[in-house]
Amino acid sequence: MNEIFEKIATCIERGKVNETSPYPPDMKGQPGAVELTKQALDNGAKPQQILTHGFMIGMRRIGDKFGNGQAFIPDLMIAAKAMTASSELLKPYFSSGEIQHKGSFIIGTVAGDLHDIGKNIVKMILEGAGWKVIDLGTDVTTEKYLQAIAQNPKAPVGMSALLTTTMLNMEKSVKEIKSKHPDVRIIIGGAPVTDDYRKKIGADAYFQSPHGLPAYLENLL
Amino acid sequence: MQERTLSSQIFLSGIETGQVREFRIPLQELNFNEASVERGMGYENGSLPDFYREKITEIITRSAEVADIRAGYRILPPEQFLLEKEQVSCCRQTFQTGKIIARQLKNSRTVALFASTAGAVFDKWSKELFNEGDFPGGYVVDCVGSEIVESAADWLEQRLIEQLASQNLKITNRFSPGYCGWDVFEQHKLFSLLPPEFLGIRLTESALMVPVKSVSGFIGVGENVKRLSYPCAICDMKNCFRRRQEKRHQ
Repeated sequence: MNEIFEKIATCIERGKVNETSPYPPDMKGQPGAVELTKQALDNGAKPQQILTHGFMIGMRRIGDKFGNGQAFIPDLMIAAKAMTASSELLKPYFSSGEIQHKGSFIIGTVAGDLHDIGKNIVKMILEGAGWKVIDLGTDVTTEKYLQAIAQNPKAPVGMSALLTTTMLNMEKSVKEIKSKHPDVRIIIGGAPVTDDYRKKIGADAYFQSPHGLPAYLENLL
Repeated sequence: MQERTLSSQIFLSGIETGQVREFRIPLQELNFNEASVERGMGYENGSLPDFYREKITEIITRSAEVADIRAGYRILPPEQFLLEKEQVSCCRQTFQTGKIIARQLKNSRTVALFASTAGAVFDKWSKELFNEGDFPGGYVVDCVGSEIVESAADWLEQRLIEQLASQNLKITNRFSPGYCGWDVFEQHKLFSLLPPEFLGIRLTESALMVPVKSVSGFIGVGENVKRLSYPCAICDMKNCFRRRQEKRHQ
């Protein structure tokens, strides 16, 4: 069974979605992540094992390469596409509770900001690491974060901003959330954000690149 | 290319000012191709996977039909223009551009306020593809939109160079709020000197331009201004994506 998990991990790492997908060229005509996931399920593999030993390994590998500058955003995107397409087959097992997420993570781009590529990358990496990501979208008000926290108590919150002006809204949201929920962890990121800024506004962590985030979150469990 | 002049022309000290010019630019007129998108995505020439190359070609082809590429400028009146160490004043507005930009505007007799946009279609298109699970497609649309809007600003600079050459005037590089220490919030001041919804661009309260694929800023105008071939060298923004791209391609 380990062999098929390794094949799934490789397909996800390299972005081989299914048999008909022409990318990557050296895997043309071969089964992709979708077919291999189906095959593993048909062969009796536990869905949790497919997630842990296939999907998560593949996404971790591409995330590490991205962090080391050996892969770029497009590589992450195609890997995430392979993972998302295969995840469809595991959806029923998430619903039945047979597969457990590591936890929930709330994410959104702060009020006044409509940029979402960075947020989407973080979302993909966390889903690939086994987290349930509650995506609030862009232009997220403090109220919206607070509502999501009320529905998902203890879930860490991720905030992204791409402008220096919307960074100020990040400060407002962090302070209000912390005043009501001091135990909720808040992680911030985005082009103008720095660790000094994190300290100033009272957030718990800052990541310049998302690949270190899954390990940080696992330490919170 | 379609051109529209929005206000009467005023000649002051040899410079046409007060006039707002708007252009609608066909994609084919931009100095923009698959290779520039590839570089924008972080790849060296030729190293992008074929899958993405095909996707870029497909999206550029479609962009030629759906993009609403516009650019325009207004040259401010030189007699009201005042350049100081860290700020620029004109038309009852003072722009705190910071030292870096003020230094680059040295010898300018005035500035041209400019903006360009790739149109609203890119925001919607990219979001739709992401929502459908086509992350690579959504990302390529975003990158193509970014390259188009920057190329439209390059096109506009070229237009300005040609227009001003007969008066022996040159231009500086373009400088935008949000870069080199110029607070992005000053977009509000900049757009207050342009017609409402200039080029179809509106500003949010946080000074974000909508459509997102839009750029705006100042271009210095004068007989003895300088133009740098590598403007990133003057900026102190360490984490800027443009700087990271330039470094990667050096």
